[in-house]
This record gives sequence, C-alpha cells and structure tokens, in this order.
Amino acid sequence: MELLTRQPVLAASLLLVPLLGLAAPAWLTLAGVPPCWPVLWLLPWALVDGRRSALLLALVLGLLMDSQTPGLVSWIPGLLLLARWWGPLRGRRPAIERPLSLGLLALGGTALLNLTLMLQWLAWGWRSPLAGADRPAPDPGQLAQPGWTWQDLTTAGMHLLFAQTLLTALLAPLVCSLLLLLWKRADPDWRG
Amino acid sequence: MPVPWRRPPTSRGRQRRWPLLLALILLLLVVRLSKGALLNDAYALLSRPFWPGPAQSDWLRSARRAEDQARLQVLTSDNDRLRQLLGLQRANADLAVSAPVISRQSGGWWQQLVIGKGALAGVRAGQPVLAPGGLIGLVASVTPATATITLLTDPSSRVGVWVNRTRSQGLLSGVGSARPLLRFLDKDPEARPGDLVVTSPASTLVPPNFPVGVIQSVDANADPAPVAVVQLIAPVQAVDWVQVLRP
Repeated sequence: MELLTRQPVLAASLLLVPLLGLAAPAWLTLAGVPPCWPVLWLLPWALVDGRRSALLLALVLGLLMDSQTPGLVSWIPGLLLLARWWGPLRGRRPAIERPLSLGLLALGGTALLNLTLMLQWLAWGWRSPLAGADRPAPDPGQLAQPGWTWQDLTTAGMHLLFAQTLLTALLAPLVCSLLLLLWKRADPDWRG
Repeated sequence: MPVPWRRPPTSRGRQRRWPLLLALILLLLVVRLSKGALLNDAYALLSRPFWPGPAQSDWLRSARRAEDQARLQVLTSDNDRLRQLLGLQRANADLAVSAPVISRQSGGWWQQLVIGKGALAGVRAGQPVLAPGGLIGLVASVTPATATITLLTDPSSRVGVWVNRTRSQGLLSGVGSARPLLRFLDKDPEARPGDLVVTSPASTLVPPNFPVGVIQSVDANADPAPVAVVQLIAPVQAVDWVQVLRP
C-alpha cells in the first residue's frame, strides 16, 4: 500500500484502462481480438505495491470495467484472483520483472481472467439443450434466451481466449516494464 | 311490263354474284364479331402521322408517378396504423438520428459500438441501429451524449428475421464470431446460400423488412431445426456513421 498512500495520483492511471478499451485501436489486435488491458495494468501495480493495494485497485478497476458492459457477468472475480496471485510476488520482484517472467505471468493471468468470465457466462446463461427427442420443433422462447451457449464458448470463446492471451503475453514485457519504470521514477521515496 | 333497254339477269350472272355476296357477309360478320378490330387497326395505321406527340405521354407518366406516390403514402400510413394496432414496430426513416461511431469493440466478449449521440438527441434503449447495408444492432444503453449499441454478432443479441424468398421465420442469434447464426423456427425452411435475410414483420423489436445479411451456408440436419450462417451486409468493422431509428 506504500505507493498508493504516498502517490495516489499514480493509481489514477488505472482510468486509462477503460479508456484504452474504448479506443480499441484496430491495428493492435490479433485475429480481431484486442489485448486484455486490465491485466497489463494490474500486473505491474501488484508487483510494485503488494497484495492489499492490488486487491483494492482490482476492485476499483473491476467496477470501472463493469460499467462499460451490459449484463451480470463481471470482471471483478477474475481481477481479485489475479491481485491475490500477483501481490505476494512483490518480494521476489527482481526476478519477476524480467521480460520473460512478465510475459508468462500475463499469459497465465489473461487465461485465468477469461476463464472466470467464461464460467460466469455458463453460470448465468445455462439452459437445457435445444435438441431433444420429445421436441418436434424448436421452442422460440428457449431460442430467444440471450447469452453465450456452451457451443459458442467452445468455438468463438476459445478463439477469443487464445488470441487475447497470446497478444497480452506478447505486449506484457513492453507495457509492464514501461509502467514499472515510470512508477519507480515518479516516486521519489522508491526503495525498490 | 319489261323494260326494253335492260336485259333480264341471266342465271349465269346470278351465279357469279353469289360468292361475292357471301364473302361480303362473312367479312361484315368478322368485323362485327371482332368488335371492329380490322377497322380500328386500319384506322390506327392510317392516322399514325396524326397521333398526339410524346408530351402527352410524359404527362401521363408523371401523373402515374404522382398517383403511385399518393398510393404509397396511403399504404404506408395504413401499414403504420395497422402495425400500431398490433403492437409491432414501425419504421420511420424521417426520424432517424445520424451518429458517428466513437468506439468499436467488435472482437471481445462484448461486441458493441459506442456512438456520439445519446439521450439528449432522442436516442433511447432498444432502438434499432442501421448502417449502410442494413441493420447492425440495437441500442443497449444511453448516456446524455453517447449510446452503446449491442451488435447483431454479440451473443446477447436475438432479432426476429425471415428469409425474403421463402418467408421462413427465424431468430438471428449472435454467437461471438463475425457471422451470426439464423436458427429457423420451421423444420423445412427451404433456405439456401445466397438468400437475403431481412427483419421480420412479426418482430416487436425491429421495424420490418430491413436487410440484415445473406445466408452463407445452411445446416439442414441441425437439431431441432435447421440453422444457417449469415454474413451481415453492413460492414461493422468499417462503418463510421450509423442511423438510430426512432419510433
């Protein structure tokens, strides 16, 4: 929490995350899928400021991201899990801050975050199979239920997960290293 | 008393006149039964140089156009009135709001656009959104200055459509990819690749008969009813301006 209490202005940089999501530059996509900006911000913050600060700002970031999307599916559980995972790594920072480590952490983090979203889609949108021997014709009411189906998740959903995970992992060494450097320089009492 | 200077008709001359008389009677009969066709055609042929010029033809054509316009207006208003009675959506292009696309998120878990017009411009949640080419989605939420559009490709999108050629009803369902899935309500929709998909007149969400997409492939063996992959006509990746239809 030291950086958050000493330099709360730095935490305001998390406002850039939903703005970058809105900007969604078309040239920064892989197979049409953008990177996971929350992961690229939360990873260096957790490495710099530890678990409690990361948990708090993961909650704030999750609320901001949820305000951009309709429905009940939330970013918050996944981001809290990531903060809980990455916060304790602060003690081993010199080794973790290597580009390969940052890339691998972003890879695992993005996959985990996307899996929490997929689980929520399944939980909220669960429905019985459309086909059945006792159904001579499709039930329009059942067809009209919105949301990701199991089939959608295993096709388009997996495509999205793999593309976003790979792209975020590729960008993490660059973006996370840059953010770590900026935050270290912005804090005069840095003891890193 | 016989006239001295006139010879009485011989039987041979009478025989020569009979066929002529018969032919004349037959001709008159044909003219009578054909309602003067021969006479009229002959008259048309002879009077062609004196027919009215093209100006009158243009007047007739413009009168026909005006009549068609008037009939179209009457039918449109009648259609609107009936759709209002049935509680269905109406289309009124005059009330459309043009808005720029300021954010495009068509490749993530949520496939949506953000446009630069909101509640202050009269945009409301649920209103259909058109791009060049046809329908692209519905307004999901509004702020005073912006509105979020849920695209037809988003898995939360469900729109009633039908195949224009066969009138087969179905639900266009986003599946997270660039091509939504048309789930037919009939067992035998008789749809085939290349068929145009338009919004259904039975829909309560969108106005009728707006083009949506073209069927790319059909899975006739899908259970419980056939499904088709639809290629949207409107280029969602490239569209910069959209129109929000207000009821």
